[in-house]
Amino acid sequence: MSDPRATRPLTLHVNGRRHGPIEVPGDMMLADVLHEYLGLTGTRVVCGQGVCRACTVIVDEPGRSREVRSCITGAHHFEGKRIRTVEGHAKRDASGRIVELSPVQQAFLDHYAFQCGFCTPGFVNAATVLIEKLRETPVARDEVEAAITAALDPHLCRCTGYVRYYEAVRAVVLATPGLVREGA
Amino acid sequence: MIARSGWRRLLAWGLVALAVWIAACWLLRLAANRGPAQRVDATPGQIERGRYLAAATDCAACHTADGGPPLAGGVPLNSPFGTIHGTNITPDAETGIGRYTAEEFFHAMTRGEARDGRQLYPAMPYVSYRTMTREDSDAIYAYVMNQPPVRLANPANSMRFPYNIRSGINLWNLLFADAEAASASTGVSPAWQRGRYLVETLGHCGECHSPRGALGQVDRDHPFAGNASLGRLAAPDITPQGLAARGWATGQLRDYLRTGLSAPAAASGEMLTVVRLSTSQLDAADFDAMLSYLLGDQPSAEAAAVATTQSGGTAAESGTATTTNAASEASRRHYLALCAGCHGPDGEGVPHVAVALQGNSSVRDPDPRNLIVAILDGLPEHDFVGLDRMQDMPGFARELGDAEVAALASWLRKRYGRQASPVVADVVGRLRADATTP
Repeated sequence: MSDPRATRPLTLHVNGRRHGPIEVPGDMMLADVLHEYLGLTGTRVVCGQGVCRACTVIVDEPGRSREVRSCITGAHHFEGKRIRTVEGHAKRDASGRIVELSPVQQAFLDHYAFQCGFCTPGFVNAATVLIEKLRETPVARDEVEAAITAALDPHLCRCTGYVRYYEAVRAVVLATPGLVREGA
Repeated sequence: MIARSGWRRLLAWGLVALAVWIAACWLLRLAANRGPAQRVDATPGQIERGRYLAAATDCAACHTADGGPPLAGGVPLNSPFGTIHGTNITPDAETGIGRYTAEEFFHAMTRGEARDGRQLYPAMPYVSYRTMTREDSDAIYAYVMNQPPVRLANPANSMRFPYNIRSGINLWNLLFADAEAASASTGVSPAWQRGRYLVETLGHCGECHSPRGALGQVDRDHPFAGNASLGRLAAPDITPQGLAARGWATGQLRDYLRTGLSAPAAASGEMLTVVRLSTSQLDAADFDAMLSYLLGDQPSAEAAAVATTQSGGTAAESGTATTTNAASEASRRHYLALCAGCHGPDGEGVPHVAVALQGNSSVRDPDPRNLIVAILDGLPEHDFVGLDRMQDMPGFARELGDAEVAALASWLRKRYGRQASPVVADVVGRLRADATTP
């Protein structure tokens, strides 16, 4: 095989902004490109082997968004794809200053959901994907808890903030119109 | 005159005979169900010997459900003929085998006939156990009968017609149960003889690793040549030649059967259960005997030749010959995008994270099935014997189309497995379709 580290030009679309083309090593993972080339350091690398999900980013495809682990997925895999990272959720003014957090982010603050915060970017993205999925296909009221559990289950939090994350996401789901089927 | 009414009379007598037969069977079964519950006195030594042999025969793999009480049954076993369940073999008199005598237990183990006369399905490996000694059967009996009884009724089986007619198994037994089995390797040493008993009889390895005929009978002429028809993952060829061709020698087999993890492979699915419950439990002498039988007393000339030509790095040699065309470049990029994060930039693997693909047994397998299934479905997390663990592998069925999986598998096989024959997209498509209809 030719040198896996040989660079190739890469264009990324992150949080609605186009980056590149930049020359990126062929075997570099997305998390490293976000950190080292784009200066987007909000995405966390904890285990570095795809277990803890702290590095989760969102890939937007037509009709749906999904989670991808940026520490084990090569950056070149994202050529032409649209990515959202934790930096992309809050509303910002023209100068880039945050003026309003997303409902999920605000709920995590309101519920004191995290302590050290290292797993939080992954939880923000997982919860956001869940909210967007429920907007497309709402669930019955008695299925809400199971849906949240399924969405957050793979994510690890070593401060064990699971219950508060869970309660925060449930509050957002129940407070947002259209995510739960009425009368079900 | 006889000609006119003879067949009617014959039919009438036939019906009477049938009625008597059914009534007799029913009465016999009733009587059988009513025998006394057995109480088995055994020394701690006998029970310990039985526990060891029950591990060697891997009873729990089929008779202990995931999270269920030990030996109380309920494990679903899928076959091309329908789904049956491992039964309750605790000493409960009503739902288990509490009324079995040692004689009846031995008969069921080696002849496949239950105490009430019902035929057991050959999923119970009584054909392999046919050569089990009475002494070993009695020890297992003493162990099982001294376990806590569990009252748990056996779940109903869902065998398709006509396989749900148990008396048909009599015919099957007549055709297949007594067939003489060829040896999987050659040898004469006492270790090899003991290994043969451990592997063929107690371990019943051939039940999964030997090919089977149209009626589910083990192909006794091609022992251990592999079987892809039992589950999602194929049981690979474990003849001495087959093992050598995929890079297995004594050391690798030793690690694998002791812990589930070795240089050429990590045990997955049912095989990891076999390692956990059975092979890892064998004592040193039996373990060595098992290896002696699997590899043979003397490596065959073919196996020795394979082992010599394939020793050393596998990637470097084939790597230099790689021609860079568009298809292989696309696969190389898929590898770096989706595989390299865990398996390393050049298939070298990451200790305790993901196995090396260089020289991996499934990558080297002439049959690409297990490689394709791993790419499509991923693999569950591995809880090896000892301290090692490995995370689950994600599946890429949604990420990659049939042609892409086929190209990636071909590229991996050529680069890391010395398998030049390309994988066809149709094969991937069929395996993808199978996954949705279990």
